[in-house]
Amino acid sequence: MIRKELVAASAEPLVLSLLAKGESYGYAIIQEVKARSEGKLNWTDGMLYPVLHRMEHRGLIKSRWGESETGRKRKYYSLKKDGKLAMQKHHEHWTLVHDVLSGLKKEKYV
Amino acid sequence: MFDLEQAIAEWRRQMLAAGIKSPVPLEELELHLREEIEQQMKAGLGEQEAFELAAQRTGRAAALKKEFKKIGRLDWEWLRKLKSILFGATEVPFPSLDDFAPSARQTLEIAPEEARRFHHDFIGTEHILLGIIKSQPQAIASLMQKLGVTSDAVRLEIEKFVGTSPAHAVAAKIPFTPRARQALQLAINEAKALNQPVVRAEHLFLGLLREGGGVAALVLKNLGVRIETTREEILREMRPDPGAG
Repeated sequence: MIRKELVAASAEPLVLSLLAKGESYGYAIIQEVKARSEGKLNWTDGMLYPVLHRMEHRGLIKSRWGESETGRKRKYYSLKKDGKLAMQKHHEHWTLVHDVLSGLKKEKYV
Repeated sequence: MFDLEQAIAEWRRQMLAAGIKSPVPLEELELHLREEIEQQMKAGLGEQEAFELAAQRTGRAAALKKEFKKIGRLDWEWLRKLKSILFGATEVPFPSLDDFAPSARQTLEIAPEEARRFHHDFIGTEHILLGIIKSQPQAIASLMQKLGVTSDAVRLEIEKFVGTSPAHAVAAKIPFTPRARQALQLAINEAKALNQPVVRAEHLFLGLLREGGGVAALVLKNLGVRIETTREEILREMRPDPGAG
């Protein structure tokens, strides 16, 4: 079980990185994160929307109403310029944490 | 017999009851719910099981409300600010009139009559200003004289500004506008700031001026009345006569 603080902290970089591939909507974003983490990052479905709204409010992403193949309304989100910059920052920071962690691990076992 | 649409309508009601009011989040959540139901039914579940599973996955109403509140706070603050810019400070409650002098209360009784004269369904700052002029002719006339305007000029300017609405039945009790309420609160603040225990017509005048965006303030500003000078004049008036002490 991944701690909820970590799940919360990783939501924004994950959403930004997913949207960097192209626009998407809430349900699909959740499904993809679930699939890519082999079910380990399982966001309570409804929790994503406040995150999306907050990011839209901050100008990182934008939204538009569209339609599914079956004609159902869908709200699509896509990355804005500031979102791309924010994503790059997130990647820097997470890479840094990852490098420090793996460096320490290596020293211990080599 | 399970009715999916009815079940979704009931789910919506629960969400609304939990406080997820803004139409966009709720609509988006409902669409999410429908996507999930569709997926579950494709996977072979019946309508009812699909709905129940989807509703459970989408999150319980109470938990969702907590999540939305986190962003809600920010949005509300911002919205309130925007609203106050557009429509005046909407969140201002009607202040207590405990410290109002009887004459100032009388002014507030005349204000609705002034509103009615224009067939207006609300009591705005302009009606309070007209009320002051009518109920406190002497005190205000002497203040205005010092400020270089006359009551008549103010009255004319207001009439030019607002215009009369077409004649129609106006309710017996009409509300004060947010700006008018704000001006009343500012009048109380002004009296306090000047260390004067009773709120009088002069403070109301100052409150209208301080409010800044209402018709009263615009009219007075157009006529060249300035807050600072008004405040000084009121203070001078209140000060004991230097010759007597």
